[in-house]
Amino acid sequence: MGANPNRISKWLIVFVAKPLSIAVFFVFVALLWTFPLQHVIAYPFVFLFFGAIMCSAWFGGYTAGSMAVVLSSIVVTFFFVPPLYSMTIAREFRSYVAAFALCAMAIAMVSSSRRRSETAVKIARDQLEIRVQERTAELQRSNLEITGRERQLRLLTEAIPQQIWQADADGRVQYCNGNLVEYMGINPNELRDDVLFTFLHPEDTTPFFQSWEAARRVNGKFEVQARVRGGNDAYRWFLIRSNPQLAENGDVVCWYGVHIDVEDQRRAQQELIVAQDDLARLSRTLSMAEMAASIAHELNQPLTALVTDAHACRRWLNVQPANMERAIASSERIVRESTRASEVVSRIRSLFSKSAYVREATDINHLIEDLARLLRDEALRHDVSIRLRLSRDVPPLMVDPVQIQQVILNLATNGMEAMAKTTRMRELEISSVILRAREVVVTVRDSGAGLAQEARAKAFDPFFTTKPDGTGMGLAICRSIIEAHDGRIWFEALECGTAFHFSLGVNE
Amino acid sequence: MTLEPSNATPKQTAFIVDDDHSVCESLCDLIDSAGMSTQHYPSAEAFLDAWTPDMAGCLVLDVRLPGMSGIKLQGILAEAGLSIPIIIMTAHGDVPMVRKAMKAGAVEFLTKPFQDDELLQAIEQAFSRDRDLRAAKTLENSILGRLGTLTPRERQVMKLVTTGMTNKEIADTLDLKLVTVKLYRGQVMEKMQAHSLADLVKMSERIKMP
Repeated sequence: MGANPNRISKWLIVFVAKPLSIAVFFVFVALLWTFPLQHVIAYPFVFLFFGAIMCSAWFGGYTAGSMAVVLSSIVVTFFFVPPLYSMTIAREFRSYVAAFALCAMAIAMVSSSRRRSETAVKIARDQLEIRVQERTAELQRSNLEITGRERQLRLLTEAIPQQIWQADADGRVQYCNGNLVEYMGINPNELRDDVLFTFLHPEDTTPFFQSWEAARRVNGKFEVQARVRGGNDAYRWFLIRSNPQLAENGDVVCWYGVHIDVEDQRRAQQELIVAQDDLARLSRTLSMAEMAASIAHELNQPLTALVTDAHACRRWLNVQPANMERAIASSERIVRESTRASEVVSRIRSLFSKSAYVREATDINHLIEDLARLLRDEALRHDVSIRLRLSRDVPPLMVDPVQIQQVILNLATNGMEAMAKTTRMRELEISSVILRAREVVVTVRDSGAGLAQEARAKAFDPFFTTKPDGTGMGLAICRSIIEAHDGRIWFEALECGTAFHFSLGVNE
Repeated sequence: MTLEPSNATPKQTAFIVDDDHSVCESLCDLIDSAGMSTQHYPSAEAFLDAWTPDMAGCLVLDVRLPGMSGIKLQGILAEAGLSIPIIIMTAHGDVPMVRKAMKAGAVEFLTKPFQDDELLQAIEQAFSRDRDLRAAKTLENSILGRLGTLTPRERQVMKLVTTGMTNKEIADTLDLKLVTVKLYRGQVMEKMQAHSLADLVKMSERIKMP
């Protein structure tokens, strides 16, 4: 119990010393005031002691109150109840003292309990106040946070270099960010519900609504490319993307949309296509220039036959007697060769002309044979012999004959150049074969030096070249042509040389 | 027609090698109209396959052919010592090619298209060259045959005679009597069927006698 002397002394101070000193103090004050007063008031005046008890109980609690009651009773009995200055009480004053003691006890109890409840209320109020303050501070903080975040979001939607809008479930526009408003050149306060639709290019409204309707049916997102009119009345291409925000029941609450400017991309794409087209034609023209001699030969053959036939015809007519039968045969050949010569001319013209999308039934073998004839001079120059291995089962293909010829020409020229330094037999083989009755594979195989390891991965890349004066476009153009025909082009490194293959699908 | 009575000359033919069938046909027709016989082949390889030593005439050869080129065929023929006259045809005669072809012994170089006379004259020229070549070959063979009948001593005497030595000089050189040299010389003239010294000298030059 008394293990801890500190606790005991603390207990003594709190429960004995402090209430006792409070009680002594107030009772002593009451006593000091009562002495002069008893000379004024005849009756022993004890009411000040009630005050002392009340004060003791108020400030010192119930213990101090009780001590003040005992002290007051002793002091009153000793000083003011006859016989004076003794602790005995005259008979006639006994009830008076008892009443005093009872009243004093009651006052002490009331006062101390009142004090206690008052203190409790005060503590509760203080606590409440603290809580209120805490909550207020919290609210203020979160308010600040929310406004800060809101500002950030607003800044974000305004700062993103995209045009953003929000529309309700029926497409009525509720918000447009600054970029969009600025692009359309309208006053932000003038935002009408249908503002987005009126700014679409008339040709693009139908696809726009179609894809939006499709998105509305499934409450899903949609994406469409459309031209949107700007403030300067010029249209630009945009990629319009929108996602719906869905309610719990799956209904659309609103649509969020973004307009991404793809004008430059589209233009670049178109320019690229045009450039590629031009390049293809250029490279064709370049290789054609190299082969002007071949064309001359091509044209010379029928002309030679023609001139020779004409001479022969004259000679058959000049002999005595004229050999009409032979003369007629010669003149028939003249007609045939003239037709052939004009065909050559028109073929050369088509080779150079800027032709649009063409797909015509083409005999690939015929194309290759034609080209091999054109290449003969080039082959002579490179000391290369050209061998054709053409499968006769190859069906006609729906292709652009000029473009496909261009591909074979490029591959063949590459092959011949690849053999420039070889000491082996210089042989270029062009073959055609049909696979599973579904695709035709054309192969151009050379016996050259082969592709260097580092060139293999990049062979088809634009501007990649291993030739000092190459444009690096040859194989890239080949690939784009073959891919435009839904075909594939690839190569195979052989023990000596390289084989380029391309495949074209057989149309039903 | 029997200008050359020697039965060794077979019928001469123009052998045309061009991959263009129409051109071949036309050329054959034209040459036919001049009364000469023709044969045509679509490639150099086809001609080589068909070739036999008794094919007389000339070759009318296109430079640009599938596979082996005309110039290459010319080279192969020259290497094999087959001296058939060749007329080269080309669409455009670029100078190095002409030089190369002419150096290799082409008779004529024709640029397509050409006139009938150009071709026919070229063929006739080629035919006569072929005849000459064949006649020379025949003559050479007969001289060589006659040379084979000489004894070593006679051959020695013939060699010295054709260098222009007198009988006396020959006798000194070979350490023979003058009479013996005269005897040998008479036998050489007889065996070689030479009518004069000039005849004998010509013969030795022709066969490039060692």
